[in-house]
Amino acid sequence: MTTREILTLQLGHYSNYVGAHFWNIQELGFDYTGTKKSECNSDILYREGQNTKGQITYTPRLLLADLKAALKTLPASGGLPDENIQEDFHWNAIEKIQEPKAEKNEFLRDIDTKAASDVISKKYTLENDISTWTDYLYTRLHSRSINIIKDYQHGNENVSFDLYHTGKSIWEQEFGETFSDKIRKYVEECDSMQGFQVNFDCTDGFSGLALSSIEHLVDEYSKPILAHPIIASYFSDNNPTTQEERDISNIKDTIRLVNIAFSIEELSQHATFFVPLCTGDKGWRKPGNVRAFEYLNYNSELYYHSSAILASAIDTLSQKYRHKSNFYTLSDVCTDMTGFGRKMAAASLGLPFAMNESQYLIDYLNTNTKPIYTPITPSCKIATDKIFQLITVRGIPENYLKAPMKEAREQMNLPAYKCNNVKEMFELYFQANNFLSATNVTVCEQPLELKTPYPQIFSKSLNKYGFISEESNLMKVESCPVIAGYHNGTFLSDMIEKLHREVSRIKFAKLHKFLEEGCEEAEFKERLDKLSEFKDNYEDDFEL
Amino acid sequence: MAAISLLNPKAEFARAAQALAVNISAARGIQDVMKTNLGPKGTMKMLVSGAGDIKITKDGNVLLHEMQIQHPTASLIARASTAQDDATGDGTTSTVLLIGELLKQAEIYISEGLHPRILTEGFDVARNKALEVLESIKISIEIKRENLIDVARTSLKTKVHAKLAEILTDACVDAVLAIRTPDKPVDLHMIELMEMQHKSATESTLIRGLVMDHGARHPDMPKRVENAYILTCNVSLEYEKTTVNSGFFYKTAEDREKLVAAERDFIDQRVKKIIALKKKVCDGTKKSFVVINQKGIDPLSLDAFAKEGIIALRRAKRRNMERLALACGGSAMNSVDDLTEDCLGYAGLVYEHILGEEKYTFVEECKNPQSVTILIKGPNKHTLAQIKDAVRDGLRAVNNAIEDKAVIPGAGAFEIKANMELQKYKDSVKGKARLGIQAYAEALLIIPKMLAVNSGYDAQDTIVKLQEESRLSPDPVGLDLSTGEAIKPADLGILDNYVVKKQIINSCSVIASNLLLVDEIMRAGMSSLKG
Repeated sequence: MTTREILTLQLGHYSNYVGAHFWNIQELGFDYTGTKKSECNSDILYREGQNTKGQITYTPRLLLADLKAALKTLPASGGLPDENIQEDFHWNAIEKIQEPKAEKNEFLRDIDTKAASDVISKKYTLENDISTWTDYLYTRLHSRSINIIKDYQHGNENVSFDLYHTGKSIWEQEFGETFSDKIRKYVEECDSMQGFQVNFDCTDGFSGLALSSIEHLVDEYSKPILAHPIIASYFSDNNPTTQEERDISNIKDTIRLVNIAFSIEELSQHATFFVPLCTGDKGWRKPGNVRAFEYLNYNSELYYHSSAILASAIDTLSQKYRHKSNFYTLSDVCTDMTGFGRKMAAASLGLPFAMNESQYLIDYLNTNTKPIYTPITPSCKIATDKIFQLITVRGIPENYLKAPMKEAREQMNLPAYKCNNVKEMFELYFQANNFLSATNVTVCEQPLELKTPYPQIFSKSLNKYGFISEESNLMKVESCPVIAGYHNGTFLSDMIEKLHREVSRIKFAKLHKFLEEGCEEAEFKERLDKLSEFKDNYEDDFEL
Repeated sequence: MAAISLLNPKAEFARAAQALAVNISAARGIQDVMKTNLGPKGTMKMLVSGAGDIKITKDGNVLLHEMQIQHPTASLIARASTAQDDATGDGTTSTVLLIGELLKQAEIYISEGLHPRILTEGFDVARNKALEVLESIKISIEIKRENLIDVARTSLKTKVHAKLAEILTDACVDAVLAIRTPDKPVDLHMIELMEMQHKSATESTLIRGLVMDHGARHPDMPKRVENAYILTCNVSLEYEKTTVNSGFFYKTAEDREKLVAAERDFIDQRVKKIIALKKKVCDGTKKSFVVINQKGIDPLSLDAFAKEGIIALRRAKRRNMERLALACGGSAMNSVDDLTEDCLGYAGLVYEHILGEEKYTFVEECKNPQSVTILIKGPNKHTLAQIKDAVRDGLRAVNNAIEDKAVIPGAGAFEIKANMELQKYKDSVKGKARLGIQAYAEALLIIPKMLAVNSGYDAQDTIVKLQEESRLSPDPVGLDLSTGEAIKPADLGILDNYVVKKQIINSCSVIASNLLLVDEIMRAGMSSLKG
């Protein structure tokens, strides 16, 4: 059986937050004992290698980019044990300029010193300890993975990396050359690659960088590209108090908005399939109110919290093409979801898939009136009719399906009772609920495992396995069932319309920073026009 | 009160003398940081990040890129200096030092009440004179190995350890000479720099051929072949599923397998065509066959090649396709339909070298390689990075010398000479502009001064010594860093690039003048620019 490899690109600070959770979930889910049946082929995302001492390494097939000073305690070599050999001759007169040593938090100190099993079971309150994504990164990375943009410093207000075009020009420089060479090296190692996953911040300079790299991927490799443009859950200028702060916030929002629009427009040209993600309901101007999940209490100002939600979604959604059977690949996902040039889709997540611990799935689906998932794509409401959707459900045990014959009673009267497994039942459910729609359901047995450092954001009414229980629980939630989906349909024209309308209201003359970076008014207009052309793909009344 | 504060009461501003003081202190600050790095005896800087990442360098350009410069004036100077590097590949440290010194000299006159405009006019005149002097001491060279070696060595010694500089000098000069065709500009991209984290830096060498950072991905392929035909191509030899069939339409794995088999056949045909060519040219001879492809090759195709004893490499660098054609001959093929022997290149030896998880393929003993590789070895990442930066500069130095067809004596000789000429010239100029020339002449001396200080000699002693010597000698006189005495640099082979010096003189004067003419600096908040 061949592995269908995927190369992941992760560009931008918030995307790295999401990525850190994503890789933690992967790595902490590895089973070294061989007792647990894993459904995922981890070789799809990971690669086996060897360091110079001949030790075997197993690291994500990943390239990430961030700004200078964003890594804090993580060395740019990825954090695998160092293998420095001493020089054979000495340099004369070296002047040493040392930055203060970055302090590791309790969690990082513990992974260095203690056994993994101790760390996972220990309780931390990391919320106050985390200032960057490396502060809770359990995974160690290959020395090739980390790319630092040296020209810009993270958190520097004077010279900020905040424009689409700045990202594009960084790619034109040496950065692009080394980055594309690293991509080539990863691809060269793969025997039958299925494609690329690109997760990037679409609000700052990384948007331009990501689009340049996507363009490069299209030129160089004929493989499908799944992109997730991500909008952070919160920006530090979101709550202005004085007039001056309000003005600054306004300008920054405008810049972010334009970056988002440019990203979406260009993704519609180059990417094979893309899904914007954000835990805020609006996404632009401000990320907006938090998307509510009934059994989660999370603080959207903490990237550590909100990024965990997006990571869970990406992990669940990707189960489909990471399954051991190889039956479904990234290119299938892309072709299934992008009919009529509708390259953009929306995503949804139900975290947890909130069933009562003493309830059968059949009853839950029958009696439940609330939507079973929450959209995590900004400014969009997922329609119920005329949609294509790929749904992934994980962690619902077959014995929760329906009552055995003897106890079935009124369940027998439901048409769903003839379903023999979770998959059939969900298929029936979506058939009944979504008019004129095509739904493809994937079911995974394993729930989402919530091992430390996954944030403790679950409501007290969930039991250890993520089901609702009557009595209040003090136990840590260790795993939970999850539902997630990609949805595509005419409803997305609304979202593009909103974006287009908002951006058209900006006078180009106000965008002097863009002008300085070489963006002309004509280009701005053209991009807007292309965006509205893209919207037309969603307008036509094509039916199944 | 400045006009800006009427518009925006929150704006910060600095005027006239104050503004000048800000600029001058910034220029001198950055000069202070860089001055210890000048020359072969300058110190190295080791930059250690919070997480323990190390970078060792004395290359001014690298340093300026690594340092996060906050001060706006300082970052302006830094940007100008790195632009200098982009243009000519060297002279960054000198640029920074000279700008700092020009401002320092100017400050003395300005504090006595001289208007900056007059000074800058003086600078302008002085610059033109300095360029004349530069022209007069230029030494025309023939493009021969011996002549280029000196320039390369002088440049490299300022970047790396002397022992290492010797080795890299030979590599750089030979590399450029190998790829050069007379009367055509040299494309330095045709020299591949390949890093290998292995052994010691002194084992870096020039390979007259190509080194690629990947190897054959099949266990049965030969690890070493001689007398090899090289086929370079850009043809996909991997099965890629067409995008028409979708998961909605077929249900079982068997259905899919059928489709796959049909489409696989298409790729097999291509592989067969290549194998047919191999059989045609190699059967009955002792020759072997190597395929280097820019696109992918999947395991089944690799298998077919391995059975025929063909080495096949996939995903070659785009630029290597061009390099391969230059190194081995032949041409890169975009289709396998009309393959003939003429399309093939030749290499005497192709072998694989494995280092941990990294594989390298050497293509050597080419007949007339017009593309070569400098193999950079080093025990750790920061040494590799340092050597790579140095080699780049060394290649630029050689290339500059070839383009200029001239060099100039180094070791501070130009600065001493120009200083003397300017002092003489000053007397022929009327008016206060001569003060500008005076300042310019003084400022030039910072280079020999710093060379002396960095080697442990007294700056004033050295300058006096050199000036005396220079008055007696018609030839330019420079400083011997190992003795502190005056020497004739041209005799000892201390030679600099003409174009680098020219660029330094030009850019320093312009930037220093601009900074001097600033009389108001303001920083206004964004509130005046509603979005």
